[in-house]
Amino acid sequence: MRGYLAGFVLCGILGAPVRAAVDVGPAVAPRMDFIPLPAGTYSLPAIQTVGDAVLLNEHAQPVHLRTFTAGKITLLTFFYTYCVDPLGCRFARETLTMLRDRILADRPLATDVRFVGISCDPLNDTPRALAEYGASIAEDNRFEWRFLTAKSVPALLPVLEDLGQDVSVDIDAAGHPTRALHHMLKVFLIDPKGRVREIYSLAFIQPEVMLNDIRTLYLESSVPKKGRLPRDRYAFQGGASNP
Amino acid sequence: MRRLSVCLSLTVGLCAWVAAAPAIADETCNSPYISNLIKGQEDFVHVWTLGVEGLGDGSDKLVTIDANPSSKTYGKIINSLSVGGRGEAHHMGFTDDRKYLWAGGLEDSRIYVFDVGTDPAKPKLIRTITDLPAKTTYVGPHTFYALPGRMLIGNLSNSADHGGVTGLALYNNKGVLIGHYAMPTSTLGGVKGDGYGYDVAVNPAKNVILTSSFAGYQNYMRNLGDLIKDSEAMKHFGATMVVWNLKSMQPTQVLSVPGAPLEIRWSLVPGQNWAITAAALTSKLWLVKPAAGGRWSAKEVGTIGDPSKIPLPVDISITADGRGLWVNTFMDGTTHYFDISDPEHPKDVYTKHTGSQVNMISQSWDGKRIYITSSLLANWDKTGADNQQFLRVFNWDGHALAPAFEVDFLKEKLGRPHHMKFTAKTYGSQSLAALARR
Repeated sequence: MRGYLAGFVLCGILGAPVRAAVDVGPAVAPRMDFIPLPAGTYSLPAIQTVGDAVLLNEHAQPVHLRTFTAGKITLLTFFYTYCVDPLGCRFARETLTMLRDRILADRPLATDVRFVGISCDPLNDTPRALAEYGASIAEDNRFEWRFLTAKSVPALLPVLEDLGQDVSVDIDAAGHPTRALHHMLKVFLIDPKGRVREIYSLAFIQPEVMLNDIRTLYLESSVPKKGRLPRDRYAFQGGASNP
Repeated sequence: MRRLSVCLSLTVGLCAWVAAAPAIADETCNSPYISNLIKGQEDFVHVWTLGVEGLGDGSDKLVTIDANPSSKTYGKIINSLSVGGRGEAHHMGFTDDRKYLWAGGLEDSRIYVFDVGTDPAKPKLIRTITDLPAKTTYVGPHTFYALPGRMLIGNLSNSADHGGVTGLALYNNKGVLIGHYAMPTSTLGGVKGDGYGYDVAVNPAKNVILTSSFAGYQNYMRNLGDLIKDSEAMKHFGATMVVWNLKSMQPTQVLSVPGAPLEIRWSLVPGQNWAITAAALTSKLWLVKPAAGGRWSAKEVGTIGDPSKIPLPVDISITADGRGLWVNTFMDGTTHYFDISDPEHPKDVYTKHTGSQVNMISQSWDGKRIYITSSLLANWDKTGADNQQFLRVFNWDGHALAPAFEVDFLKEKLGRPHHMKFTAKTYGSQSLAALARR
């Protein structure tokens, strides 16, 4: 019933709420013709504080969103389990998986970073569906990668509104919701105080930059602890700045 | 909700990704971070209009005009939303999700946020931001440039002396100021900054912001005839562009571009990392491109009209393929089309007198429809019979502009039309929030 083939075709053609008049053009991965600034040599503005909400974890237990947006450096994105857009959720997942592996190689950093995925289709993405989805991509228990859903669409809407995440649904000629769900891909970088410090839409999803941003927040927020990496470790990563 | 539940359970997923991300869309010169570019027929053109004392309600207003030829109200005004004051309405910019339109006033430094996503035929004013001068010392919000979740604003002046030294302001999409950044006045890359500001344009693939420079409140709010006679005041125009590191929001190089370089357009072609601008006072086109050693260069590459007659090039609009550039010259009311397939050698291949005074120019993504408005600034517009105030729309077949429709903003008692933005109806989809309310 997921209509994989139909979904794949539609993903490549449509993918925008203003369907008749808008053409999102061919899928293009973000270009990166520069060397990112070294971590710790710049600061990221606090864009907004993430509000709290009660969501559901993969065990159908109510959880507070703030539990997963504070205390660590967090990359949060909205997704749905059956999205097949090569430059949508799938692209985000592949990028995050690669970042996870890079972060895991930095042991002290790995314990200070988490990823959070919130389904924007709570009716289809049940806790059970999340559990299956999470098991398929977040199998490494050395890293915290959480998947959350909501008990209903109204329970999700305040979270979408707070973070400015647009989600729309195609409707048929009779005005009934039909077969297509759209959302603009965004990944939110959140500091341990629960403040959004960067938002990566497609043009910004540049893994080297994202990694340096995470390291920048790590250097900024970390109180020296045993085993933590010194600031110098990151000072050379990324190379020269780009004018 | 029951119907939504059933349907969503059968949903085939689609992710809407940000369109053609590395390229700036010249569908009215949007930020590359804006989703949902209109590559087909636009339904509406919104015109940010300066109020005129004694004309209609005298207030600045957002005027919405039906732009779809298949509509029964094609070419007609379908909505006019006054903001309740007159503050030198000037430019606008969409948020990254294209649901909200931010519009600024150069005199009162107010910023109005209109909801154009819920019903683009009937925009609603949802927020007025008034804290720009108090929190930044900058006045004259000019360019509204979307970044993900936030709006970068290029300003023209400052509250201390109303001169041209100013900076950039960064707000989140909720209207909260989150940072501000002074235009450089020191020497960077061998050129001294003048601190002036105007347009903002980002090239994400190069991690670069490019800014240009115009003049402060003292000049742009002054009568143009008086200003031109004041040789001292005429020294106070911008003569630089600045290259910024987008990530750090720090200026890295100042470029010498004399004559008030105004609008900036990056090439739309992925991998082509050059930008073009027009210097208003010298009537020259300038090309900005990467140079050796990771630096950038600015080079004069063309002439617009007869500079000795001061045609005053104002708005420019680059074609989607990066091979053509429209330029309006205000004083002689002329619209030029340049072939910039070789951006080092632009050629003026077509001109048409499109009004007694012309300023802003926008084109549809396919380049087939050209929109022109007349007003530059309240105190710079012409007077008497030459003070035409209009929106004129033309069809472009690659050879000549043919009139499509026009709206007389004086006859309609609206004011002075300035910046334009397009919207389209949401054919066949609704937001999740709207569906949940049903």
